[in-house]
Amino acid sequence: MAVDVNTGIVAIGAGLAIGLSAIAAAMAEKTIGAAAVGAMAEKEELFGKGLILTVIPETIVIFGLVIAIMIIGMAG
Amino acid sequence: MLHPEYMAKVTIIGPDTEMEKTIQALHTMGVLHIVDHVKKEDLDIGAPMERASMLSDLLVRTRALCTASGIKEAPLPAKESFSLDAIGKEIRNSEKKITAWQETIRDSSSEIKKKEEMKEKLAFLGPLQLNPELLGPYESIDVFAGYLSDVDIFITDLKKLTQRYHLAQFGNKIALFVEKEKSKDVQQLLSRYIFSPMDLSLLSGLKGNISENMAALDKAIQLSVQQKQKVLEYLDEFKEEHAQKWLKYAFYLEKELEKAEAPLKFAKTGEAFIIQGWVPEQKTEKTVEILNQATKGRLYIEKKQADKKDIVPVELENPKAVRPFEFLMKLYTLPSYKEIDPTFFLFMSFPLLFGFMLGDMGYGITSLILFWLLKKKFRQASAFFSTLMFASLATIFFGALFGEFFGEEVLLGYHLPHILSRADQLMLLLAVALVVGVIHVNMGIVLGFLNELKAHGFKKAFFEKISWIILQIGVALLAVSYLHYLPISPAYGYIVAIMAVVFLYIGEGINGMVELPGIFSNILSYARLMAIGLASVQLALVINEFAKEFFHAGGISIIWGILLLVVGHAINIIVGLLGSFLHSLRLHYVEFFTKFFKGGGTPFQAFGLKTYGG
Repeated sequence: MAVDVNTGIVAIGAGLAIGLSAIAAAMAEKTIGAAAVGAMAEKEELFGKGLILTVIPETIVIFGLVIAIMIIGMAG
Repeated sequence: MLHPEYMAKVTIIGPDTEMEKTIQALHTMGVLHIVDHVKKEDLDIGAPMERASMLSDLLVRTRALCTASGIKEAPLPAKESFSLDAIGKEIRNSEKKITAWQETIRDSSSEIKKKEEMKEKLAFLGPLQLNPELLGPYESIDVFAGYLSDVDIFITDLKKLTQRYHLAQFGNKIALFVEKEKSKDVQQLLSRYIFSPMDLSLLSGLKGNISENMAALDKAIQLSVQQKQKVLEYLDEFKEEHAQKWLKYAFYLEKELEKAEAPLKFAKTGEAFIIQGWVPEQKTEKTVEILNQATKGRLYIEKKQADKKDIVPVELENPKAVRPFEFLMKLYTLPSYKEIDPTFFLFMSFPLLFGFMLGDMGYGITSLILFWLLKKKFRQASAFFSTLMFASLATIFFGALFGEFFGEEVLLGYHLPHILSRADQLMLLLAVALVVGVIHVNMGIVLGFLNELKAHGFKKAFFEKISWIILQIGVALLAVSYLHYLPISPAYGYIVAIMAVVFLYIGEGINGMVELPGIFSNILSYARLMAIGLASVQLALVINEFAKEFFHAGGISIIWGILLLVVGHAINIIVGLLGSFLHSLRLHYVEFFTKFFKGGGTPFQAFGLKTYGG
């Protein structure tokens, strides 16, 4: 499968968009998740709140994905 | 539905003589959530009944017995009542029996241990060929028995000290007999040669030779072991026989104790008591009637509507099909009494969002069967699995819309009909996901409007909630005009959007300004409906592709292909279920609930009923 350089660069751009945003989300969730588990160990009823707080940064990846799709879409 | 059970504030005042009857009647009905009275200068709290301390003592002991018998599973609460004297007597008897048996077991165990030790000591004497009685005690001779490393060199040194000694030796085991007057010096010498003594005092008093003694000890040990075994069996039998009864006692005592300690929650004057609490409105008539019957009308009972300042306990009230979703509500927080109970909306949209993400007929059918089995197996978590079964049904429905069966769109040469193909129509899928987001978020805003309308009137509700909708319309107008979908000037869009921002500032102040972009990131967040579904489809397709190659290779590879299909799809289902569940829940908790839901309700706990909702 031969791919020209321009397509390759577009693909790298899309990949970076999602990859970097995933790293960012992971870094954010790492801290929140650890704290949430700690809080839950103290008080089990906090599960709901802990879950919500933990998944909030996940939106970052979704944004990354949307951008990635838009990059590919724009390149045609 | 949509509102927690309506509650009436009830105040019961009566003379002390009627207190016991009142408590009994309330406990049997299990409808009153008692509000603990806070001790004040003029109105003290009541004192527990006299029998409370006896009850709690009995309860502790019964629980100890239950724990000792290793029984945990509670039987269905039988409504039997027992006489306290009888329980007390039986518990004491049981304790006595068990203690005696346990003592016997302990004695046998220590006896066995002692005999084993003696055997060990005898085994030491064996190779030295000394009978135990030879070890003394003597009037003029001391005996040193133990392990010594350099025996030969020691003997030469010993000979310098004294000639009058006897040494029995085998390897590094020795037994040395010396005169008492020399024993101090000998001991010093021994310690220089790293002598580790063996305490043979256990053997004193034994007669006869070693093998005889060994045989006797073996026999004694066997006897003790048998005895211990027998008692252990008795004990187990006894526990097994009585455990169920003890559990019933414990349950009964718990209930009785609850009643005996109830006055602690009451307000108390010299001769009268006052109970304040909440009763579900539809049960108040009956409650008053029963209380009056029980006390022959000697109580003063007052019913009042909840007013705005009251903290009213919350009991969710929903149709049977919706009820499992109360579990997801409690996981987050209970709604407060004044606001809309969102359980019904969870019931409506949670399975839909879940199904949209997983969206595969094959996966839906598999998970439906899985959750049905799990529900039968784990009865305590049945509400949780019920919600997931609804979600699985939605998954099958969306699977049919997407025309997917284990990721495949073509089944045995037959092309599954579909409305939208997730694998190919990516942009359309994204658009649909965002439209779902717009609908869902705005539904939340409308609910928020209704909540505010009830709590603070139209003006506040309009500025706080409807301005969000106007803002969206403004931005939509801008988008439409800039993207040339409709020939309108962008000015309209700007006007509407700025109007909305002004309204928001009036409604929410600076907070609203900070949250302005939030609404769009909320809607964009629904893009995950596409993203997670896409990941699941692509993974399924990859698994199928690999498996196909194995099948084409033929022979033994077919087995590998089947294995790959089973393991691959199993993993994909697990990941898909987990993802869809969490993300659907998150979309509700974060994107939907934040638009209208405050929560923080206190659960309704009726006096007499063991646990809330249980």
